[in-house]
Amino acid sequence: MLSLRIGRSCTSSSPLLRLVAIQHRSYTAAKPQTNARIVNSASAQKQIQDIENNASKILRAVQLRTAERRKLRSEMTETFSTAEDIQRMKRLKETEDIQAAWTEWESTRELLNETIALLADEDPAMCAMAQEEYISLLSTLSHLASTKFPELLVPNSSTGHLSALMELKSGVGGSESSLFLSELLRMYMRYANVMNWKAALVGSNELDGGGTKDAIVEITGSGAYDALRWESGVHRVQRVPATETSGRVHTSTVAVVVLPLVEEKSVNAEEDLFSMDDIKLEVMRARGAGGQHVNKTESAVRLTHIPSGITVSMQDERSQHQNRRRAFQVLRARLMDLKIAAEIKSRRDVRRNLVQGADRSEKIRTYNFPQDRITDHRIGLTLTGINYVMEGDGLQSIIDPLQFHHNESVLADMLDEVPS
Amino acid sequence: MSIAALVARFGRQHALQEIKWLKSAVQDNQHALEHLINRRLTGEPLQYILGTQPFGPLNLLVRPPVLIPRPETEHWAIQLAQLLSPTPAKPLSLLDLGTGSGCIPLLLCHLWPSGSLYAHGIDCSPDAVQLATDNAESVGIRLLSASTRRDGALTHNVFKPELASYLDPTVLNLLEPPYDVITANPPYIPRREYDDLPSEVKDYEDQRALLGGEDGLIFYHAIAKLVADGLLAEHGTLALEVGHDQAPRVQEILRAAAHMESIDVWLDPWGKQRTIIARRS
Ligand SMILES: C[S@@+](CC[C@H](N)C(=O)[O-])C[C@H]1O[C@@H](n2cnc3c(N)ncnc32)[C@H](O)[C@@H]1O
Repeated sequence: MLSLRIGRSCTSSSPLLRLVAIQHRSYTAAKPQTNARIVNSASAQKQIQDIENNASKILRAVQLRTAERRKLRSEMTETFSTAEDIQRMKRLKETEDIQAAWTEWESTRELLNETIALLADEDPAMCAMAQEEYISLLSTLSHLASTKFPELLVPNSSTGHLSALMELKSGVGGSESSLFLSELLRMYMRYANVMNWKAALVGSNELDGGGTKDAIVEITGSGAYDALRWESGVHRVQRVPATETSGRVHTSTVAVVVLPLVEEKSVNAEEDLFSMDDIKLEVMRARGAGGQHVNKTESAVRLTHIPSGITVSMQDERSQHQNRRRAFQVLRARLMDLKIAAEIKSRRDVRRNLVQGADRSEKIRTYNFPQDRITDHRIGLTLTGINYVMEGDGLQSIIDPLQFHHNESVLADMLDEVPS
Repeated sequence: MSIAALVARFGRQHALQEIKWLKSAVQDNQHALEHLINRRLTGEPLQYILGTQPFGPLNLLVRPPVLIPRPETEHWAIQLAQLLSPTPAKPLSLLDLGTGSGCIPLLLCHLWPSGSLYAHGIDCSPDAVQLATDNAESVGIRLLSASTRRDGALTHNVFKPELASYLDPTVLNLLEPPYDVITANPPYIPRREYDDLPSEVKDYEDQRALLGGEDGLIFYHAIAKLVADGLLAEHGTLALEVGHDQAPRVQEILRAAAHMESIDVWLDPWGKQRTIIARRS
C-alpha cells in the first residue's frame, strides 16, 4: 500500500541536503489543508502521497520495527521461557507503542481509500460527509507521520537526566560584546525559570563600564543539558550600540559552550571521569607566613587535569573549599563533554548531525536587532520578535526545531544502518 | 573615587573580587557600597565587614575581635574529617582548645554522621564563646550548655562551648578526660613577629588569639603537659596547627613532654608545614 520512494540514488546524495529538505517540507507542506474547499479524488491522492513522501524515511523506519516484531514473534520458542525469549519479550514490549501507531496508520490509510471513493458521490449529503471525513483522516495521517512516529522512533536520550553548565565568553566587538553577553545570560536564566530549572551564576567577570567579560552559569534540572546543548557555538549580534552616535550597525559575538553537569554525589569512584593522581591543584597567590599572620582572602585555585591538559581556574567564591568544589565541577563537566563527543563520533552520527556536530567556533545564530529577527544558521530558521526570545519564553521556539532536527538525523542514521 | 583607592591598595584583580562580594552584601545599593568600601580602606578585614566567612560547606558568623577562620585551618580540618571515621556505634569525644568561632568542632559535627561526635570547645574569651554558641545555632548543631556533662548515647552530634582557660592549672577539673581527639589552633605568633603584623590583623583581631608568648610556643608546652596528664585517650589523636616555621620545634615539645612518638606533619595548600598529627602510640 505504501510506496517507498527512497531509492539508492536518493540515499547516496548529500545526507545534509536531504535532511534540510525534509526539515523544510515537514514544516510547510506536511500540514494538511483544513479549509473546507471541495477536494476531488486526484488532489486527495496527491495530498496523501505528499505526506507519505515527506515522511518516507520515517515510515520506512517504522516498517522496519514492525518487521522486526514479526521476526521476534516467529523466533519465540513454544515455552516462552528461554533467556533469548525474555530478551525478545523485552524488545517486543519496547516497540509496542510503535506497533499500535502503525496499526492506526494502516487503518487510517484504509479508511482514506474508502472515503476517497465517496468524494465525488452523486448524493450531495454523502459527498459533504465524505469531505469532512477526509479532512479529519488526513489530519490524523499527517500527525502520525510528522509527530507521533518520530517521537516513538527516537530512542530516549542517554543524557536526558543531566543538568547543564554554560560558559559564555565575549568575543569580537569589545564592550558591545560584553553587554550582549549579559543579555544572553539573562535570557538563559529566565528560560531556566520558565522551565522550572534552577539557575545559579557560578562565576563571572564583570566590567567596570557594565557588561560581562565571561560567565559560568549552572542550570540544574532534568532535561536542562539536552535542551541547552544546542546553544553551543558563536552567537552574533548586529545592532547600533547605545554609545554609537553615527548610527552605524556593529557586529559583535559571544561564544557559548554548554557542558553536561555530573553531580558529584552521583559519581562512584570507578566510574569517575578522572583519577586524583592526574590532578594538579594550585593555589593562586603567595601568602607569606600564612595562617594567623594573614587574614586577607586568598581563595583562588587552579586545577590541571594532566592527561587532557584541561585547566580550570576559580576565584569567585570566598573560600578555597568552595572554589575547589566549583573547579572540580567544571572539570567534570568538561571531561564528560569530551566523553560524549567521543561516543557520538564513534557512532558516526556526527557526520550528518548539523547541530551537535557543529564546531564550537562556528557561528550558529545571528540576532539582528534593526530587523528584529533571529536566524539560526544551522537549520536556516528565521524568527521575528527578538524581545520575546531574550525574555526567555521565546527561546523554546528555537530549541524545538533544533531538537526536531536532531531527532530527524538520529532517525536518518537509524535508517541508514539497515540495508534497504 | 574609593574604588580606585581599593585597586591601588589590593591590585586590580583582587579589588574587583572584593567589590563584587561587597556589592552582593548590599544588593547593589551604591551608597551603602561606598560606605563599605571606605571601611575596607581603613584596613578593616573584609570578613568583619561582611559578617561571615565560609568554612568548608558552612557559612560561619564572624565578629571582631574573635579570630577569623583561616583557609589553612579549613584545609586541615577537612582533612582530619577524612582521616577519622566515627559512627554512632563508635562515637568519638573531642576537645577543641581555644575554639574561637567554633569553626573546627562545628565543621566536624557537620561532616561526621549524626550521633558520632561529642565536641567540647573551650575559650578564655567571652566574645569567642558567645560567637561559637551563635554559630552552632546558625548552622544547626545541637548545643549542650556549659555546666551539663554528657550522658549516655548521642542522638545527634553535640557541641559544648565553654568559658575556660587551658593555661589554668585547675582546668582538668572542668574537663571530661580522656578525649579521643584533641584539636587546637593555639595562638602561635612570637612577640617579635606580632609587632610586625599588618594592621588588618593586629588592629582588629584579638591579641589573645594571636600572641603565643615571646617564642610563640607557650601554648604548645601547655598542651603537651595536659596530654601527659591524661587529657588524651590512649589511642587518641592530637591535631595542632602551627606557625609557618614551628613544626620541628613543636614535634620536639610533644616528644619530650608528652612522649608522643607517632607524629605526622601535614602541609597547607601553600606548601607550609601547617599541622601536626600526633598519637601516643
Ligand atoms: C588562633 S585562635 C583560634 C580560633 C579558632 N580555633 C580558629 O581556628 O579559628 C586562638 C583562640 O584561643 C583562645 N585562647 C587564647 N588563650 C587561651 C587560653 N589560655 N585558654 C583558652 N583559650 C585561649 C583565643 O581567645 C582564640 O579564640
